[in-house]
Amino acid sequence: MEPTLREGDLLLARAGARPRAGRIAVVRLPPDSDGMPRPLSVKRVTGPDPSDPSRWWVERDNPREGVDSWLVGSLAARDILGTVLWRLWPRPGPLPKAPAA
Amino acid sequence: MFRTRFTPVAVSAHCDLPCGVYDPAQARIEAESIKAVCKKVADNDDADFRVRAAIIKEQRSELVKHHLWVLWTDYFKPPHFEKFPELHTLVNEATKLAGASGTKGSFDESVADDLLAKIDRIAEIFAETKKA
Repeated sequence: MEPTLREGDLLLARAGARPRAGRIAVVRLPPDSDGMPRPLSVKRVTGPDPSDPSRWWVERDNPREGVDSWLVGSLAARDILGTVLWRLWPRPGPLPKAPAA
Repeated sequence: MFRTRFTPVAVSAHCDLPCGVYDPAQARIEAESIKAVCKKVADNDDADFRVRAAIIKEQRSELVKHHLWVLWTDYFKPPHFEKFPELHTLVNEATKLAGASGTKGSFDESVADDLLAKIDRIAEIFAETKKA
């Protein structure tokens, strides 16, 4: 999620908040192709999946690393576990609602 | 997950590079090359040829180690090691067989065969993990 988030950032998330387009969320990704679970992840919710509005499309700010809905499809609403509100440390403050251009 | 609302939970942005392409065949091809080098040297007394063969065998042995280490560190995950307890020892023995006490230090074809056998066993386990 660079450049928005960096390794070691301490974030404040609200559990169970309804996903909102543009916000970063704590999400559960589906297992990988070998059936191995993926770690709990942070991704940016870009909006409802156009082909199934009950599901959410998530993307990564750093296209060079990681997986997102382009690779694993949209996520069920129950897999969006919370919305990241603030970075507490370092550089405390609200997080941008879009990836840095 | 959020039972305790203010307990920090580790979240990741990515677990690996996205390619995720692994295959023990890479290590096998290099090991086959080592075996072929041993065979060719046995039939050739030319000093220059032997030096080149030694250099190539050294490089290919290093590549075998590299490919096996990639499988070991990047492909195989804790549940695999749990299911196949011999896996750690197997990778250790295989990479040793590609080292100074193995194909790097020897022109003996049988050492290359031993290495190939270890790689084949790793490939069997790899295939098993793909089935699951």
